[in-house]
Amino acid sequence: MTTVLEVNDLQVRYPHAHPVAARLAGNRYPWIDVVRGVSLQIARGETLAVVGESGSGKTTLAQALMGLVPSAGGEVRIEGSAVPRDRRNRLMPDRRRVAMMFQDPIGSLSPRMTVREALAEPFQIHRPGRIDANAEAKRLLALVGLGAEFAERYPHQLSGGQARRIGVARALALEPALLIADEPTAGLDVSIQGDVLNLLTGLQQRLGLSILVITHNLNIVRHVADSMAIMYLGRFVEQGASGELFRNPRHPYTRALFSANPSHDPRKVAERMRLTGEVPSLMRRPAGCEFHTRCPLVADDCRVIVPVQTEQAPGHRYACLHPLATSAPRLP
Amino acid sequence: MSEVVLAVEHLSVGYRTARGTLQALRDVSLEVRSGEIVGLVGESGCGKSTLISSVIRLLAPNTEISAGAVRFRGVDLLTLSEERMRALRGAELAMVFQDPMTSLNPVLSIGRQMADIQFRLPGGTREKRARSLDMLQRVGIADASQRLGHYPHQLSGGMRQRAAIAMALMMKPALLIADEPTTALDATLEVQIIEQLKALQAEIGNAILFISHHLGVIAELCDRVVVMYAGEVVESGPVRQVFDAPRHPYTRMLLACDPASIDERARTLPIIPGILPDLVDLPGGCVFCERCDRAESICITQRPRLEGGADGRAAACHFAGAPR
Repeated sequence: MTTVLEVNDLQVRYPHAHPVAARLAGNRYPWIDVVRGVSLQIARGETLAVVGESGSGKTTLAQALMGLVPSAGGEVRIEGSAVPRDRRNRLMPDRRRVAMMFQDPIGSLSPRMTVREALAEPFQIHRPGRIDANAEAKRLLALVGLGAEFAERYPHQLSGGQARRIGVARALALEPALLIADEPTAGLDVSIQGDVLNLLTGLQQRLGLSILVITHNLNIVRHVADSMAIMYLGRFVEQGASGELFRNPRHPYTRALFSANPSHDPRKVAERMRLTGEVPSLMRRPAGCEFHTRCPLVADDCRVIVPVQTEQAPGHRYACLHPLATSAPRLP
Repeated sequence: MSEVVLAVEHLSVGYRTARGTLQALRDVSLEVRSGEIVGLVGESGCGKSTLISSVIRLLAPNTEISAGAVRFRGVDLLTLSEERMRALRGAELAMVFQDPMTSLNPVLSIGRQMADIQFRLPGGTREKRARSLDMLQRVGIADASQRLGHYPHQLSGGMRQRAAIAMALMMKPALLIADEPTTALDATLEVQIIEQLKALQAEIGNAILFISHHLGVIAELCDRVVVMYAGEVVESGPVRQVFDAPRHPYTRMLLACDPASIDERARTLPIIPGILPDLVDLPGGCVFCERCDRAESICITQRPRLEGGADGRAAACHFAGAPR
């Protein structure tokens, strides 16, 4: 299987707005570590879901992969070739290989451009003069199941679901190998969120696309993702095949996230693991295991020792000193 | 039998637009009793916001209330003077909004805002501060005395929403209306807040109307549920019974669409095809019939009535008696 995206130990940091004040407040460095040592792999045609709560660094990770923010360390390889660390000032050929669907579907479209103009723009930038951009726009509309009459509409004339389809079409214009979808269903009604996900999985099968989906909605992860990574304060605390993680979470945070998911069917509500307190500030990372301030199973050594990544099974890794017991072995 | 705190009776509300009257609510009835949490479920455009605005009477100038009544402890709020209405808001009728950052005043400290709410209560500054402190502690805010001096931007999202809940419950209102109070919060915080709200309600014994589009949250928190579609109540009843055996096709299809209800990995997720009807030019029959999977000719010609049974359930469907 070919690896489309490989990330090793990626670091992203943002400078403090007030470095002197930060130093006086007891910070050792004039920056904030937002993504701290993330490693992942996505094979062709596969979907990886990055799951975490607000402020965990999911969107920054996506932006670093897109080259929208520079990385401070680590390595990103797209289809085998390494990408330079700071790509902001170059029109990079990589932009054609990785495309992004942004969180706010209407806000990410220019209000002054028609759908046709928005869809034609990638061709005008990357392949000027060589391609009939308007014909391509028509082809893309058909690809995402919208009629040609949408070509002359403006973003405010689209519903949330339609704007998302345009977002998909625009992302797929240059036939990328990898699509990054940031919260593809946020703000959509339940009755139509399946529509956008079905479109993505359908296109994935037809085009052999790899997808990195960023979400906090665990209910959709189960259905769309082959593997998943749980992010907390900029680190992956657990990652592996999604079926395996749902059956057999080892990190208490993973388990707490799964159980904090109210279901309308009481038979599906697992025994709840309750977290106390709130997510710590990135400027004051807790010592030892960074989850210990909220962990219901915290032990004394958690406050001191930083847990290393442990490989539970090929591909299934977690970082916890006192992992949850594995459930009973499944019958063959 | 506990007291009926809020009774919305056959309420019809429209907005005057250039195209004609947009009929946002049509013949909507619901009841909330003291000590009860009623969930209101529906997707965008179903009229949830119009309903809340009608109850607290904060309506846009182009609104037209064409029929019905909103009774709060027997008094019709729609005929009340603005002065008496203002006396009720915040004291007996309180709201928690979706986004606490926009509902709290950014330039006043939390303590100042909580003291201001108590302007009708007896006691001096010290007593008011003590009551604020007690309320903040009861919603689970750590270092409450320090937090009283903080401004909204110094609090995290979860803490802001807790403070908003504390303020809403400060005057022990008979009715609390919570409009998607946990939608902007993360999953682990959402659960913490829901459990806290439930505990507080058990203690104070007030009535809560809880608006959400999250079916799991409604199931966990509420006693009864009211399902709305395109400005009408399509089904209501005890939450367990409605979710276990829905009688209206919209409720059934909505539950089926919730990815949480599907255990096995599904490559294709269910959806409800079609779009909402045009509320300016409504179809003559059932509002859901264009998207319904079991519509027959009667559904196109006749509007089904919301028929209630003795079991406390009601559904507006010609085939509610014989669910498939």
